Amino acid sequence: MKRSNRLLQALAAAAGLALFLAAGPAPAAGVLAAGPAPAADAADAPQAHKDLVLRGDAKCTRCHDEDDDYPVLAIGKTAHGTTADARTPTCTSCHGPSAGHLAGPDASGQRPPPDFVFRGVHKSGADAINGQCLTCHKSDAARTHWMGSTHEERGVACTNCHQIHTGHDAVRDKLTQPTVCFTCHKEQRTMINKPSHHPIPEGKMGCSDCHNPHGSTGPSLMKKDTINDVCYTCHMEKRGPFVHNHEPVGENCALCHNPHGTTAENMLKARPPFLCQECHTPHGAYVAQVIGQGQTGTIAGQPPSITATSAGKAPINFMMARGCTNCHTEVHGTNNPSTANPTPQFNFR
Amino acid sequence: MALAMLAVFGPAWADDDAVAELSKPSSSVTVGGAAVSGDSKDRSIFGQYNGLRPDDAYLMLDFAYAHRDDATGTWTVVEGRNLGLESREIRAMYGPQGNWKIYGEYWELVRRYPRTINTSMEGAGTTTPIISRLDVPGTGSDIDLKTERKRTTVGGEKYIMPNLLFQASFVNEDKDGARLWGRGFTCPSTAAPTPVCPALASGANQYALLLVPEPISSTTRQIDAKLNYMGAKLTLIGGYYGSWYDNDYSTLNPTVVGNLNNPLGLPMGTPTGVALTSGLRNILQLPMALPPDNQAQQFYIDGNYAFTNTTHATFKYAYTHATQNESFAAAGFTDAPPGRSDLGGRLDTTLAQAGITSRPLPKLSLMANVRYEDEDDKTPIDLYNTEGTTTWTNGPIGHKKTSGKAEASYQLPWDFRGTAGFDYEKMDRGEVLSTDQLGGITGLRENTYERGWRLELRRSMGDYATGSLSWVTSQRNGSSWLKPLSGTSGGAIPADPDCASNGSNACIWSRTGIFPFIYEDRKRDKIRYLTDFTPTEKLDLQLAVEYGNDDYSAPTEKGLDSTRYNLYSLDASYAVNESWNLTGYYSYTQQGINQGHSTGYILNFKDKNSTAGVGIRGQANPRLKLGGDIMYILDRNVYDTGLDSGASASNIALLNSGQNYVPDAIFRDVRFKFYGTYALQKNADVKLEVVHDRTRLDEWTWGWNGVPWLYSDNTTVTLQPEQNVTFVSLVYTYRWR
Repeated sequence: MKRSNRLLQALAAAAGLALFLAAGPAPAAGVLAAGPAPAADAADAPQAHKDLVLRGDAKCTRCHDEDDDYPVLAIGKTAHGTTADARTPTCTSCHGPSAGHLAGPDASGQRPPPDFVFRGVHKSGADAINGQCLTCHKSDAARTHWMGSTHEERGVACTNCHQIHTGHDAVRDKLTQPTVCFTCHKEQRTMINKPSHHPIPEGKMGCSDCHNPHGSTGPSLMKKDTINDVCYTCHMEKRGPFVHNHEPVGENCALCHNPHGTTAENMLKARPPFLCQECHTPHGAYVAQVIGQGQTGTIAGQPPSITATSAGKAPINFMMARGCTNCHTEVHGTNNPSTANPTPQFNFR
Repeated sequence: MALAMLAVFGPAWADDDAVAELSKPSSSVTVGGAAVSGDSKDRSIFGQYNGLRPDDAYLMLDFAYAHRDDATGTWTVVEGRNLGLESREIRAMYGPQGNWKIYGEYWELVRRYPRTINTSMEGAGTTTPIISRLDVPGTGSDIDLKTERKRTTVGGEKYIMPNLLFQASFVNEDKDGARLWGRGFTCPSTAAPTPVCPALASGANQYALLLVPEPISSTTRQIDAKLNYMGAKLTLIGGYYGSWYDNDYSTLNPTVVGNLNNPLGLPMGTPTGVALTSGLRNILQLPMALPPDNQAQQFYIDGNYAFTNTTHATFKYAYTHATQNESFAAAGFTDAPPGRSDLGGRLDTTLAQAGITSRPLPKLSLMANVRYEDEDDKTPIDLYNTEGTTTWTNGPIGHKKTSGKAEASYQLPWDFRGTAGFDYEKMDRGEVLSTDQLGGITGLRENTYERGWRLELRRSMGDYATGSLSWVTSQRNGSSWLKPLSGTSGGAIPADPDCASNGSNACIWSRTGIFPFIYEDRKRDKIRYLTDFTPTEKLDLQLAVEYGNDDYSAPTEKGLDSTRYNLYSLDASYAVNESWNLTGYYSYTQQGINQGHSTGYILNFKDKNSTAGVGIRGQANPRLKLGGDIMYILDRNVYDTGLDSGASASNIALLNSGQNYVPDAIFRDVRFKFYGTYALQKNADVKLEVVHDRTRLDEWTWGWNGVPWLYSDNTTVTLQPEQNVTFVSLVYTYRWR
């Protein structure tokens, strides 16, 4: 990293840390939301107002319709707006009765916010927001393990990811979902566009194809109980068991692979032989190298000399092309039972 | 947007229509065409998955039909995406909401391997390829490998009672094509003693490395069925998950015709040695096992229980029975151990998990959970491995994993919240079978233990500012190191407790041996800082800083020593006015690996990545929306290599020669994307999109310094390192309700 980059990053980090630790209490209501209370007088308008989208929404939609600050009507395009389903909410099911808000401006001249606010300066706490959503969604199978999950424990609110008043909730479309997840998961954003990646930027996979952000029994909020169980849903040929197993394969695919993307082929965390030499010792006579490939004879400073009858375990042979897997073909395990020499236990094929 | 549309098309909108337009499900169809510049090799990276590699022009066709019968709440949804591309998908759903629904999906994905193979091989991608030496590298036929997945999903759900829901789905995925594979062997070899693979005169060697694509034709099926009970306090799910893998191919049987190259790139025997021997040829033609059929059945119960409004429990129990019993003879293997017709592979896995969360005080939250996983490998043990007169068996791969965590979180003054947690994990890999052989492994451990602590300080002030600072530290250690065996005649595994102080080659390890990092002691530290700050209504800033470090230790200094990770990231979003919005981000990550090897190299690997992007979205006028993104990625893999005192003279000579024997690998991608959407009428528009992608991949995997890597039959694998692609599409969208 260039020194100037490091300096900028250090300054940015220091500034952010100072802001985080030194900032005072949250601003009083209305400090940032400058301007008059929205359509205060409309609440007192005498004319009758019919429901527009949800059952009993008139008392809200007489002021809130499709203005640009708080467009609400698109909720009608969604499952929440399917009023024939008796379980669907009305405005106050989520925002609370909000008597103060309905009553108009208080003594300060400001209209109090609704009981539950999902964004903006008056935003309610994550527990409060999630409590409103879980009133109905707590029993969904996908959210069985929400309580105690990493996102719940870290104060992630449902509305940090979901948009309710829209016909297109970005996080529920695999084309746009990663952008929502990258709001917090920056490292993954840098990985998915590396040359070896899952088809996430192409929109053929979303984060939720592997993860359940609402909680799970697996590590890293995996959809299934283990990382491998998730991988096997698409890569079941690696499951075995085999006659000759490669022990780490059955333990955790992520020991060798980074599923979010790498520059090395096959989403390997490092190129063979270096990845393999994090566990394995053999072929230790020579340093893995690239120089000399395709050349003949002794090369200055480079052992060994290449002749017509050089050994196959030359350093270039386990460095280039498929690396160690040039010979150790099927590193995920092989079902070849042959007891004839050479048996396949080492070469995995 | 709505106001803008109203301003333009207002006369056409009555109030009720306007409300319905904004609140009722709508449908659309998008049709048009696209063109891509260059040829297949110019866009092999760009077109790896998106279906835009094979042809120069494409039909662009998407549609989305959504209708809801408001009286009954019955939805009819049919959507198609990328229908003119090989990445097409279509899905449908029908049913009255809250009662029942059925759904289905058809999904295709073609992954085209970005590199091109040039070879004289016949039948590449079949189970019987014929390999022959190409006289001049690069003069053979070009082959582009691909794998194609076609997935069909059907499912449904039904509320049997208001609090009882049945859900079921079935997924069938066919996968066809071929992927890069290969085989290699050298003679002489201890794995193939004379007379199978003898040494040549004067101890000379003979070896071959061959590219042999793996043929793929398989089907994966999955069934998931569950019954959900949703009570006031209890949610209980009982389910079944079955999965089956069925491979049409069992073995790959290559034929090698004629002679092959020696290391000089000349036919074997030129100028010295002999032509390809029958011993090595026979080995190269041995059948290669392809992935066997396998299946697993899982039964589970899952759920949660609310003791009170503030105390909840979660739980899961699952039992999985996985088997693999593909017939050896049917696969074409005739020399399995006597009496063994198949592996009889069986893994029975039990998972139990329970957790509890509670808020005993308004400001205090508590959480604890424990998880137990027992994978019991019941596969029969038999004598599969032979080297001359030495024999070994297969070995079990089961393990027991116990983990748990406890956490307390307290609301502090000034909107701060503090959290402290403890994590524990024990991995029990079971007793190492004394007859199992483990390739190239210096030491083993039966158990590892990891204990960790977490601290976090979080602050949340509405959308004005949020932030968190967390620190995680853990320490892993394990049971005594064990030495792998040297065959059934070797007897039991020695576990000398004095080895740690012995330090000689006479002990259970060599001083230059590598101990697998998954068993090594490990000290882990991670720090993460994330803040989101909205200084004005128009500006949002986000800063993330992360640091991680793993230090490994084992009886020797070889193998993995440490890994590091750093991230700095800044995001900004600025609303210029009601119509225009700007976004931008910059992230820098560096991942490092330090490791040593018996050759004497000390690798200090660094993956340095800079990713940046800027974007603009806006409404130029009531009819015209414009947007654009520029993304930049620079990823540099640096293989800094040092020297330790144990290196051999020849390796010291190389390491001191100043030659760049492991060059950097560099990937750069700059992508420009611009689009404009013009509203022809209130429910129809046209969209022009232009994408220009410039990538460069400099790396040495398949060639270096302009010289391609040569397989023993002169097959080469190449990639056009610099690729510039321009994609232009023009589509028309019509919407209706």
